[in-house]
Amino acid sequence: MLRIEGLRKSYNGMEVLKGVHLELREGETKVLMGPSGAGKSTLLKCVNLLVRPDEGRIFIDGEEVTSPKVDVVRVRQKVGFVFQEFNLFNHLTVLRNVTIGLTKVKGMSKEEALRRAREVLEAVRIGEELWGRYPAQLSGGQKQRVAIARALAMDPVLMLYDEPTSALDPQLSKEVLEVMKELSRKGVTSLVVTHELDFAMEVANSLAVMSCGLIVEEGPPSEVIRNPRSSEARRLFCRV
Amino acid sequence: MQLLDYIPFLVEGVPWTLALVFSGLTMGFSLGLPLSLIEAFGSRGAKLVVDAYVWFLRGTPLLVLLSLLYWGIFPSLGIKVSPFIASIVALGLRSSAYQSQIFRSALLSIESGQLLAARAMGMRDSQVVMHVLVPQALRIALPSWSNEYAIMLKDSSICFTLGVMEILTRAKYISTATGSALFPFLIAGLLYLALTRAGVEAIELLHRKVRIPGTLGGE
Amino acid sequence: MDFLLELLTALSSGLLRTVELIAISAPCGIALGALLGALSIYGGRILSSIVKLFTAILTGFPLLVTMLLIFFGLPEFGIYLGPTESALLSFVLCSGAYISQYVKGAIMSIDEGQSLAARALGMTRAQEVIYIILPQALRRAIPGISNEVIYMIQYSSLAFAIGVQEVYSISKSLNSIIFRPLEIFTALALFYLALCTLANFLFKLARRRLRVMESELP
Repeated sequence: MLRIEGLRKSYNGMEVLKGVHLELREGETKVLMGPSGAGKSTLLKCVNLLVRPDEGRIFIDGEEVTSPKVDVVRVRQKVGFVFQEFNLFNHLTVLRNVTIGLTKVKGMSKEEALRRAREVLEAVRIGEELWGRYPAQLSGGQKQRVAIARALAMDPVLMLYDEPTSALDPQLSKEVLEVMKELSRKGVTSLVVTHELDFAMEVANSLAVMSCGLIVEEGPPSEVIRNPRSSEARRLFCRV
Repeated sequence: MQLLDYIPFLVEGVPWTLALVFSGLTMGFSLGLPLSLIEAFGSRGAKLVVDAYVWFLRGTPLLVLLSLLYWGIFPSLGIKVSPFIASIVALGLRSSAYQSQIFRSALLSIESGQLLAARAMGMRDSQVVMHVLVPQALRIALPSWSNEYAIMLKDSSICFTLGVMEILTRAKYISTATGSALFPFLIAGLLYLALTRAGVEAIELLHRKVRIPGTLGGE
Repeated sequence: MDFLLELLTALSSGLLRTVELIAISAPCGIALGALLGALSIYGGRILSSIVKLFTAILTGFPLLVTMLLIFFGLPEFGIYLGPTESALLSFVLCSGAYISQYVKGAIMSIDEGQSLAARALGMTRAQEVIYIILPQALRRAIPGISNEVIYMIQYSSLAFAIGVQEVYSISKSLNSIIFRPLEIFTALALFYLALCTLANFLFKLARRRLRVMESELP
């Protein structure tokens, strides 16, 4: 489904990714953990081609998306991205936030887009009474769930989450995590950068630990968390 | 004829003044918005060119720009223009420089995360501009834009130097014809004042209608 | 060559009058703006509503209308002002009205503690405003004031309409003799550009120097 080979990226001489290898099978959820500055966010952005890697290759569904011949815009449509800061469009209602990609990017008719929006908004438990609201009138948890719906509506083959609950308090995080868990259980292929151990334990098929631009450890979540082998993982999971 | 009999003649200048202002604002908008996109997101070279354009137009008095266009540039290009058209071009060019600055700061105040999100869902740059940037920039810029209207309305009086039949030109006629200056110029001033207030109120009404609920200044 | 010389002579003779107009009306306009701004806040109900009406009229009238009113209209009350005096008066009134709005905003942005501290020292209201509030407010209003002065440099060209022999007026007469509009008005545009750029530079310098004294300013 997703294969990353030898990915490298530098910013102004600082190497952020130092040859990352990663694989994710269809229907699986992989959690990516690591200290800040490890390169997790850059890695996700490379998968969606928001950032161009310097070296290495990324395959999605067997197609090499890093090849210069590939249409960036088409790849991004296939890959959903959920941001830490939600990044909803401020001037659009909840409903329009979800449908704008469908009508403008995918060229769907309004009715079709509405039908699709109804499905995904129900899936993230955003009730109809909120559809006419604007982002500034929503709680953080509601915003993030709308953002998930917006990404999901495009019918992506892969969902990327970049610390989706880091900007939320525990209560609001919970409602977002519930939605994410449900999606993962339904078999939405997901790559999730998060610090939520419960999420990893409950629904992730694998857990990768990243440090200084490299994946230093990978395995079933319960194993990595209980018996971390690398020093970086130990530092992450040992509760003092 | 008594002074009061001249009032209709003076008021007939209002459509002329408004025509100057609306045409000037429209021209300024159609040039200023693309320029602001270059200023906010363009390459360094393109920005420099726009900066020079803005610097020239903001530093040249409208009167000089008008004279340069009407007597200098248009004739030397072999184009015959009426004073009315020359006035619109001068007002429009000058306004494009100001409007580009208004829209530039509006564009730059939009969080970059929204652009990232738009690109992440597969929007092309043109779609990001059309569906995410411009709709928000217009709303954010509306209060400053209302100020631009007020400035242009008053600046349009400068077109009397070319004899465009707007409010001030007519006031001058009346003053010459009747020998009284106080009355025609005072009425002219009050007309400008009323038009400014009316326009600013109308834009404020529009602003209340299109502002984004939940954001600063909305609700 | 002859043409260039003529142009330069004309520009430089007009330059003096233009600079004179600005050099007199800019400080007076700023002073009037400070006065009106302070009165609109500390002047009591009657005085501040008079000031409000006054600024509403002056900012609502085009400068050109104010100027023509003063030059052609005042004589109907038996007040005769020459072209230069009329131009100066209208510049001062107009820029004063605009500047007062910036000053007013700046005064309102100064925190109340300053005023309390001044009164605790035993200052009268007038002393408090003159020594404590206004100096700070004017500093904060500098960006707005500098904009107004730069506008004034440009609008000084309008004085030609009442026969002041400033640089635009002289250039226009020159053009009617030798008819080289493209060159003359381009030179004139560059002349104003230079003046505005210089003024802008001076204000920036002033802002930077004042920032040292009040470090919390952005």
